[in-house]
Amino acid sequence: MNKFASALAVSAAMIFVQTSASQAEEGTSTLQTVKDRGNVSCVIGNSFPGFYSLNKEGEWQGMDIDMCRGVAAAVFGDAGKVNFLPVQWAQSFTTIKSGKGDILSKGMTWTLSRDVSQGLDFLDTYFYDGQGFMVRKDLGVTSVKELKGATVCVLTGTSSELNLADYSRTHGLDLKTVVFDDSAVRNTAFFNDNCDALTNDKSGLAAQRSAAPNPADYVVLPETISKEALSFAVKQNDSEWANVVKWTFQAMVAAEEYGITSENVDDMRANSESPIIRRILGVEGDLHVGLGLPQDWAYQVIKNVGNYGEIYERNVGPDSILGLDREGTLNALWQDGGLMYAKSFR
Amino acid sequence: MSEQDLKHFVPTPPRLPARNEQNLRHRIQKQCFNNIGNSLLTISVLVLIYYVAKSFLDWAVFNAVWDAATRRECLDISPDGACWAGVIDWFNGLIYGRYPDEEQWRVNSGVVMALLWLLPLMSQRIAYRNSILISWITLYPFLGAYMFLGGTFGQDVGIIHMVFTSLAAGYFILLYLNWVLCAAGQSSLPEMVTPLTSKLFRRGQHMTGFLLVWGFLSILCGVVLAQMHLEPVPVDHWGGLFLTLIIASFAITMSIPVGILLALGRRSKLPVIHWLSMMLIELVRAVPLITVLFMAVTLLPIFLPSGAEPDKLSQVLFAVCLFAGAYMAENIRGGLQAIPDGQYEAAQTLGLGYWLTMGLIILPQAMRLMIPNIMTSFISMLKDTTLVSIIGLFDIMLMARNISNDKNWIGLHTEPLALISILFFVMCYGMSQYSLNLEKRLKAHRS
Repeated sequence: MNKFASALAVSAAMIFVQTSASQAEEGTSTLQTVKDRGNVSCVIGNSFPGFYSLNKEGEWQGMDIDMCRGVAAAVFGDAGKVNFLPVQWAQSFTTIKSGKGDILSKGMTWTLSRDVSQGLDFLDTYFYDGQGFMVRKDLGVTSVKELKGATVCVLTGTSSELNLADYSRTHGLDLKTVVFDDSAVRNTAFFNDNCDALTNDKSGLAAQRSAAPNPADYVVLPETISKEALSFAVKQNDSEWANVVKWTFQAMVAAEEYGITSENVDDMRANSESPIIRRILGVEGDLHVGLGLPQDWAYQVIKNVGNYGEIYERNVGPDSILGLDREGTLNALWQDGGLMYAKSFR
Repeated sequence: MSEQDLKHFVPTPPRLPARNEQNLRHRIQKQCFNNIGNSLLTISVLVLIYYVAKSFLDWAVFNAVWDAATRRECLDISPDGACWAGVIDWFNGLIYGRYPDEEQWRVNSGVVMALLWLLPLMSQRIAYRNSILISWITLYPFLGAYMFLGGTFGQDVGIIHMVFTSLAAGYFILLYLNWVLCAAGQSSLPEMVTPLTSKLFRRGQHMTGFLLVWGFLSILCGVVLAQMHLEPVPVDHWGGLFLTLIIASFAITMSIPVGILLALGRRSKLPVIHWLSMMLIELVRAVPLITVLFMAVTLLPIFLPSGAEPDKLSQVLFAVCLFAGAYMAENIRGGLQAIPDGQYEAAQTLGLGYWLTMGLIILPQAMRLMIPNIMTSFISMLKDTTLVSIIGLFDIMLMARNISNDKNWIGLHTEPLALISILFFVMCYGMSQYSLNLEKRLKAHRS
């Protein structure tokens, strides 16, 4: 009943927003609004380990957080000028459309329907994820296809649930789903052997495995059954602002490709002979003019937040909460066989 | 039968000495083991209690880990005990949310001040008890907001806020000065000034005396406060138990005036007021709190002119105030209906108007009748505030959920919830005990 009622309220709200938001702030660029306001307002969720979560000191940290801090660094030269807005899933689109939030960066999967129907423009994928399965080691299972007739713990109302049904039907696996409303309860149920397998995005599975009473008792199966391209988005039809966000990310990836890190960026700026690096760091050329940003914008991004590799290591890498190896995954740089490919700084 | 027989006095045999049934063994025997069925029931309940209590205590106390750096360490030390180390590590976050560490004294002193404001009510000798309560509702919020939000007078604190904060501080000091004087057997400060004012003003000497002293103290406080600078802490840094208490106490205090107005409105003979109150009450009562919260957060900004959008906390406060008010209105209406017509008629005979009838005769009786219901509403309001975590306010529930996503404590979600249950039990039980106490006191006073 609660859910139904809140869904009604939210959809009613959306209808209102759709009509009123389009009249509001027509024509003004978000970039100008952000500069006037003095901070970037970044739409995130409540908690998603490795992507956005509060630490004990009450600071936000995670990959999505660093993306937003990077944009703030590009615009203001100060990564601290971000206002994080933790909102519910249903509110995230309206917050962007109403102009209250400037960037949507909350580990959201880029899907066609979200791209065309929610008034958003998805820009770049900063993390490639996919749905996987975790089982107990003593089951002796090495592939999802051996799970015929198994019970699977899954969060209800998520794309994971739909993907699971699709996969089960295509491969004739006859998987029985055990649905949960809350991830903590689902994990406890799995660790108490209430179901044979646990399905979730693989980044999440890694975190859940590390929270197990004895992680060595569990294995993540090799199959990936869905495409989850976690991407950030901005309000539709605002190219000026979209360019800023897009190229902030490009600068992070390019910096990694050319070996610029937050440690050596000062040295690089002073001494590098490479014309590409000099262009990226704003020593020569006038690439910043088209973006409407200060000349040293990319330098500030790298100095304040780091390159893509550093961000990855800090938030989701082997030493982090998720402990994800990057090598050989889609998140590696293109020359290492991944999909991270910076466009040309020219 | 002769008359002699009738007059004859036959004493009744003396009663047997009462057996001492009060001793524990007898009582247990009589109440728990009086037949086979009850004996079996008693034994099985005892066994059940033993197992539940034992496994809980094993988990929570005997096998628990109190000192560890990460959850993994906890699990290594004791795999099936509670890991309180994580809760201790995050304790500050659970209580204050994201409020900066070095400013947390302001939260403490603000809360203490709120309690101190009400403390004089305990003393039977203090005069103007109602005015203390009213000032707490109307003035304290400004002082509290200044303490919690911070800022400098004239810069980020607006002129109205400045004035009311000074008035509140002035009143607070006056209250305690009066209490001290009263305890020392002296007349209160305004009464001391009255001889002076009586020369200047003919009428309302007491009032002017009070206002003069209050105004003087307020100006003094204003001057002192204007020299101070408190680091501003924006509302989105508030959280934890602190935020839960702010929302709950706001809902509780505002529900009474809102509820009274709505209840009187619903019983009003003016059709517009009657129907409007009824519609509001029925509408709000017919939807769950979570819907009211969602509506406040998503719809309210749309209705208001753009640019005047209040922050999320104000929207939530508006929603809970409306919700609590609607429920309270029905409680109070129940009380109003229990008052016999004779009371209204008596009040009319005395020549009292509507507001005096209500304020002096009807409402005090109605409220007294409704204490258990009102307190039930308060308790459920306190518990309902945990719902605000769903719309992204970092109250104690959301902070607890964040612990299980912390790098060091990943997966730790049972222990924080256990702690919260204990905290809420203590608060709610305290409230219900207070209401019992209040009932007893008021009854003793009347009969």
